[in-house]
Amino acid sequence: MSLPYRQDMPPAGGFEAIKYKRNLPSRGPGAYAILGGVTAICAYGFYRVGKGNLEKQELQRERVWSRIHLVPLLMAEGDRDAYRRQQAALAREKAIMKDVPGWEAGKSVYNNPKYAQESLVLV
Amino acid sequence: MSVHQAGTTSSVERVDLTPMPSEVPQVQELGTTSAPLKSAAFFIGAYCKEYNEDFMLCKNESREPGHCLKEGRRVTRCAQDLITKMRENCLSQFNDHWNCLEKNNQEYYLCRKPERTLNACMFEKLGLTKTIPGGGLQGQQVHEKANPIFKAMQK
Repeated sequence: MSLPYRQDMPPAGGFEAIKYKRNLPSRGPGAYAILGGVTAICAYGFYRVGKGNLEKQELQRERVWSRIHLVPLLMAEGDRDAYRRQQAALAREKAIMKDVPGWEAGKSVYNNPKYAQESLVLV
Repeated sequence: MSVHQAGTTSSVERVDLTPMPSEVPQVQELGTTSAPLKSAAFFIGAYCKEYNEDFMLCKNESREPGHCLKEGRRVTRCAQDLITKMRENCLSQFNDHWNCLEKNNQEYYLCRKPERTLNACMFEKLGLTKTIPGGGLQGQQVHEKANPIFKAMQK
């Protein structure tokens, strides 16, 4: 018995392509895109910080000048009060020491003509 | 256990009520609290420039309290004059601004909106402008910045 010779052949239309490629879903932007994005966001942030620092300086300047404009006013008021107390203290000292010969009321204990605030206030 | 003991120094406030010597001319003290003063500071600086500078030059000569009484009275009268004028001309704007300062830790940058109306009113009525000397980049005034970085979180 002999079978007729038959050559084994590929299926009609040929074999389908071998699936050697990885078939993974897309995983978002690439490494360089992320790196670039982070760099851009950081750069903008630092730019804002720099701008903010300059503005902070200006706000500080505004605060300082508002005080500078008020200093003469406040100092004048304080001076009047200090002068009033000074004169009162002098009068008091004169009255207390009137019997002591050679006593100079209001004389500083230091030999220095420069003004110094009283360190002791006796009321 | 700690025991409460009275301190060795008295905590009673001692006030010297002796009046000013009569030969010194009297002047009414301003009596304005901190927020209105802060609100008016730049206008005081602009309006009373000569008196303020004169007083500070006098203080530079001597720090004695009695040395600059005359200049000091001028400074106070000038500030009083300005506050009166402000209250006559821009009372509502002035009140808005200093109340805002009072509620916002006395920070100018949190009160730009009432400040702008006050500045506009002061310029219109009294011809006074707020100018911060020195000036930062390109002499830009921080209170006139349209889109500042530091501003109130809540509008």
